Amino acid sequence: MRFSEIFRLVWLNLSQNKFKVILTSIGIVVGSATIMMVLAIGTGGKMEVAEQFKNLNAGAIDISYEGGNSGFGFNMGGGRGAGSGNGSFGGSNSGRMLSGGGMPSGGGMPFGGGMPSGGGMPAMPSGGGIPFGGGMPSTGEGFPFGEMFGESQVNEEVILTYDDAETLLTFVPGITDATISYSTTTSVEGGDLEDASYYTVAGVLHNYATISNLELAIGDFLTEDDNDNKEKVCVLGANVANAIFGNAYSAYNNTLYIDNRSYVVAGVLTEMGSVASGISPDTAIYVPYNTGVKYITGNSISPIVTVIAEDVTQVESVMQNVETELKESYPNTTFTISDAGSKMDAASASNETLSLLLVSMAVIVFIVGGIGIMNVLFVSVKERTNEIGILKAIGCSRKAILLEFLLEASCTSFVGALIGVMLSLAITPLVELLSVRVELSVGGAILSLLFGVITGSIFGFYPAYKASRLVPVVALNQE
Amino acid sequence: MKSINKGYMLGEQKLPILKDISFSVERGEYVAILGPSGSGKTTLMNIIGCMDVMDSGEYYLDGMPIHETLEDDLTEVRNRKIGFIFQNYQLIPTYNVMQNIVMPLLMRGLTYEEAEQQCIETVRLLGLEERIAHKPSELSGGQKQRVSIARALVGHPSILLADEPTGALDQASGKDVLKLFRQLNEMGNTIVMITHDLNVAQSAKRIVRIVDGKLIE
Repeated sequence: MRFSEIFRLVWLNLSQNKFKVILTSIGIVVGSATIMMVLAIGTGGKMEVAEQFKNLNAGAIDISYEGGNSGFGFNMGGGRGAGSGNGSFGGSNSGRMLSGGGMPSGGGMPFGGGMPSGGGMPAMPSGGGIPFGGGMPSTGEGFPFGEMFGESQVNEEVILTYDDAETLLTFVPGITDATISYSTTTSVEGGDLEDASYYTVAGVLHNYATISNLELAIGDFLTEDDNDNKEKVCVLGANVANAIFGNAYSAYNNTLYIDNRSYVVAGVLTEMGSVASGISPDTAIYVPYNTGVKYITGNSISPIVTVIAEDVTQVESVMQNVETELKESYPNTTFTISDAGSKMDAASASNETLSLLLVSMAVIVFIVGGIGIMNVLFVSVKERTNEIGILKAIGCSRKAILLEFLLEASCTSFVGALIGVMLSLAITPLVELLSVRVELSVGGAILSLLFGVITGSIFGFYPAYKASRLVPVVALNQE
Repeated sequence: MKSINKGYMLGEQKLPILKDISFSVERGEYVAILGPSGSGKTTLMNIIGCMDVMDSGEYYLDGMPIHETLEDDLTEVRNRKIGFIFQNYQLIPTYNVMQNIVMPLLMRGLTYEEAEQQCIETVRLLGLEERIAHKPSELSGGQKQRVSIARALVGHPSILLADEPTGALDQASGKDVLKLFRQLNEMGNTIVMITHDLNVAQSAKRIVRIVDGKLIE
């Protein structure tokens, strides 16, 4: 019997039992829709992660000091005091006073096991606000001096400077670039603004744009000269430019007032979307580091030094070297050191775990759906035993009967899978209402169709095989 | 057929149904096998129709040793050499008249269109032209039996095998069917009809009686 004719018979049978086909394939409908949504949500999640971290360089390591102090009165530190003691950038650097040289090195004892940037860091992509900082007392075990001599908390205020960044760039191997930045919130006027509004103002250096993957829609980023001469220029994030001037073109070369001082807009960034870490570029105003310190913040800043590891796979060891290097300069201070890569990894990993969970769910749904198909086909074979008998009596081969029933199963599940794909298209807007990003793809649709048909065919095989093995005379006499 | 024996297991005991049956049908004959119910005539028909296997004996159809043929090849034999006409028509309810009739030809590898072309003559002979798009449920008993006969005829089989062909029909329709059988026989078809009704059997040219699994000519 020709395949096309078997297919015609299958079509005839299915088209006359449409309702039964739909009922049979409900398991496959749900399974396919699940697979499609799982893939779409998985892809959406990945893209979300990628977008949220697009302002992060994979090799970026942030170093910040967030107040508090973990030092103890007894300073075991030592090191290259003179080396790190050269001129401070932003302002006072009183902390340096404590890092006197000449003391016997205690092998970093005050920090004992209390290294704050360990495994806990990558937990969430919540950015710089990781509460380890100096606030966490390093209760290094086996550190008897504290009790012996009594703890004397010294609130040394450490303000990282560009020199620290340069020190790291010079002394830590495997670092290609280093920058320093801070952010504050201050009042801004000008343009279309009727009242003063508060915006995030970030003091940055010329290389910040490259390090944070910022792109300019118009104009140029801040230059080294801007910083050296403390020029009152700024670069606006896309949303800021739109809010204050209507659009990027109007903003360019226009003037706005930050903390009542006029600044010329040197450039406007392209829109970046929401980001998971650091300063959100769309809503920030970038000014030269020194300009900001001089006119806006004074010395009350807590800057972040960002260094870029040359080799992304070496981030861990670079972080360790950074910590060791910093300890030389600030033996009593614990810095928060975090790397962008591990934040990305953590976010990707949690996303993948979720995807895996959803895929497992889809597989279970498919198995249940497949068993459903098998049951209905068994009933169908039973119901149509007489028909199978007639077909056998008039010379239908086992192969043709097997193929007919198998094709019926495959077609039924194909219909189910198709309905499933359409269902997932229909429910996508609902899922998106729940703030879940869904990225439907043709590949996902094909895969779920394929999975549906394969499941139906696998589970349809046994009933089809049973049908093909019926003895003609027995089948024919079955009522 | 030579010394055909067939029995069924009833518990541990074997119940003999056909006992040492030997007979032959020549090409172009119209034979009625007459017997009361339980005499083994349906079992005999199943063996003649290659739908059941015998326990012992020899059976040649068109010179082909059926007793030595495997099930897969018997499918081919049923398709090409035998045309079945059943008491309860055995039509496939989801297919229309034409779809039912073309089935044996589709199984030979013809396309639907080719098969349909080949069936036109038979459909006309049986007066079913007006009914080809109807489902079996929309036909009378007589019409259903005509469809069943048409399906048996389209493949030009060596033998037409009819099991109580008038059993489910009213008298008039039954007469029509028997008239049709005569006509078909005169056209050269070999017919073997199984019945318990002597009146029906008398329409055949030769009657073979079966009693308790044994044949009496």
